[in-house]
Amino acid sequence: MALNPMDIYKLLPKTNCKKCGEATCMSFAFKLLNREKRLEDCKPLYEDKKYERQRKKLEEMLKPLEEATETGLIVNEDLCVGCGNCVVVCPVHVEKDPKGAAVGNGPTIDDPILRVEDGVVKVINMQACRRYGKNRVLCVVCRENCPTDAIRFLEG
Amino acid sequence: MIMICPGCSCLCDDITIKDGKIFNACRRGEEIFGRYKENRARAMVDGKEVDVDAAIGKAVEILKEAKNPAIYGLDTTVVEAQKLAVELAEKLNAYIDDNSSFCLGELVEAVLKKEMPTATLDDVRDNAYVIIYWGSNPFHSLPRHMSRYSYYPRGAKRPRGYDEDRYLVVVDVRKSETAVLAKKNAKFIQVDDDAELVDSFFKAMDGKAAKYAQDVGIILNEMKKADFNVIFGGLGLKYGLKDLKMFVELVKKLNEVAPVYFIPAGFHANMRGFNETLFEKTGYVNKYSFRDGSSDDSFAFTELLMNEKIDAALIVGTDPIYSLPHDVSAKLGKIKTIVVDPRMSFTARVADVVIPSAISGIEMSGTMVRSDGVRIKLEAIEEREVNDIHILKKIMEGL
Ligand code: SF4
Ligand code: SF4
Ligand code: SF4
Ligand code: SF4
Repeated sequence: MALNPMDIYKLLPKTNCKKCGEATCMSFAFKLLNREKRLEDCKPLYEDKKYERQRKKLEEMLKPLEEATETGLIVNEDLCVGCGNCVVVCPVHVEKDPKGAAVGNGPTIDDPILRVEDGVVKVINMQACRRYGKNRVLCVVCRENCPTDAIRFLEG
Repeated sequence: MIMICPGCSCLCDDITIKDGKIFNACRRGEEIFGRYKENRARAMVDGKEVDVDAAIGKAVEILKEAKNPAIYGLDTTVVEAQKLAVELAEKLNAYIDDNSSFCLGELVEAVLKKEMPTATLDDVRDNAYVIIYWGSNPFHSLPRHMSRYSYYPRGAKRPRGYDEDRYLVVVDVRKSETAVLAKKNAKFIQVDDDAELVDSFFKAMDGKAAKYAQDVGIILNEMKKADFNVIFGGLGLKYGLKDLKMFVELVKKLNEVAPVYFIPAGFHANMRGFNETLFEKTGYVNKYSFRDGSSDDSFAFTELLMNEKIDAALIVGTDPIYSLPHDVSAKLGKIKTIVVDPRMSFTARVADVVIPSAISGIEMSGTMVRSDGVRIKLEAIEEREVNDIHILKKIMEGL
């Protein structure tokens, strides 16, 4: 299920033509996954007919990523019981919401990353997650403390 | 609107209802807030719909005629209604019991009798280091227990929460969902027989060899590091140990090593409220007979039913046909049954009289007692006139 840059790379033109602004197709693949680039930035893929099948496959493959620009972290709502462990452990919440999520309550800030709504966790503000953006770290804290494995990440 | 959730004995006080959405309640809590209008009971006598006053009138008649009535349930209603039910039982010279007689009643009793030191969940959040869930799987019974009060939150004296400032121990016969979380600063002890673990604790404290000596040694060392440790005891503890006195002795002895508090981890929202209400009146927490002036195992509702000791039952806010073994609940067919319930429960469907009530905490304000003994005031979203208090008062008047 998890996307990895190698699978993306395999379907790119692999010519390292730099038209996307990246030195190599491989680094473009990484940036795609990071959502710092969009597939359309690889012009040859769209201009050259011979890449059409690969492009279609890539589009298919990256679809979850499109949805994930807002919800890079995916919650399986059927598994979530709304225990709030993930909300309380998230280090970003701990820092920003010392009187709310940090001490076990529902978030008191307006833009938490995660919040329990109608009994299940919803992703509200993915941009604040430590896994995303330029200085990302591979945080897995919320997933690690979910009793039902309801949380997973696109990138594994 | 900020509400208190009556979904379990955590009584979470941060439930926010805004723009038609329910925030912070777990799935169990959300079901109460989101679906309380569904499957509502209707007033019935002998399977026919009647008005509420007629149903109450019939209930009074049954109770007047009964030679050996029992009042049962009451764990989801408010203390104010529980008090009335106890008064009613006294007036009727009846038996009174709740679910705690096959749940954590004995442990609550030991706490109320001060046989074990106890603390509040807020104290736990702010101070607790070693946190033991013994025979309790909060994932099922108390979904937000760990995130609100124990292992996960940051507390005044435990600012780094589970990261560094807590040590979690899960004792269970199987690898429960809670046991799965025992990863960091944690230990899961899978027991076949809880008594062996109790024994290991005693032996380890005396420096003797024992089955779980190694694990227990580690836990004792962790406990010594802190001035506040806690054990949450659940149903698994109650059923795992034939003799709970052993456990009470263990908690006492552990306190010679380091401060260890005990808090029962029962599920029903206001079971502790029932236990405390009856305890104040009689000195016992459940299975009480006003005629005999004492509590006894044979006065537990299930026993009374099995042994055909009662001829009528007033069942408030619980569903024995659903929750008791079939051979026990089938006996309900032999006696007169009055059900007071907001919902058309399975028991309501076969009862002689059904009196539709309000949902405590949502349609009826009142007090509940959290699992740690803290009294919480619940404010209804919309008060419903015909609630448990109204119904019990009317029955009392009728007698
Ligand atoms: S534009 Fe496409 S083909 Fe050219 S380097 Fe970038 S990814 Fe590779
Ligand atoms: S990955 Fe880390 S920062 Fe992102 S939501 Fe989960 S716990 Fe928070
Ligand atoms: S930890 Fe898992 S089950 Fe609990 S609220 Fe988060 S996603 Fe849901
Ligand atoms: S943990 Fe219990 S009290 Fe808290 S929201 Fe869930 S059901 Fe309600």
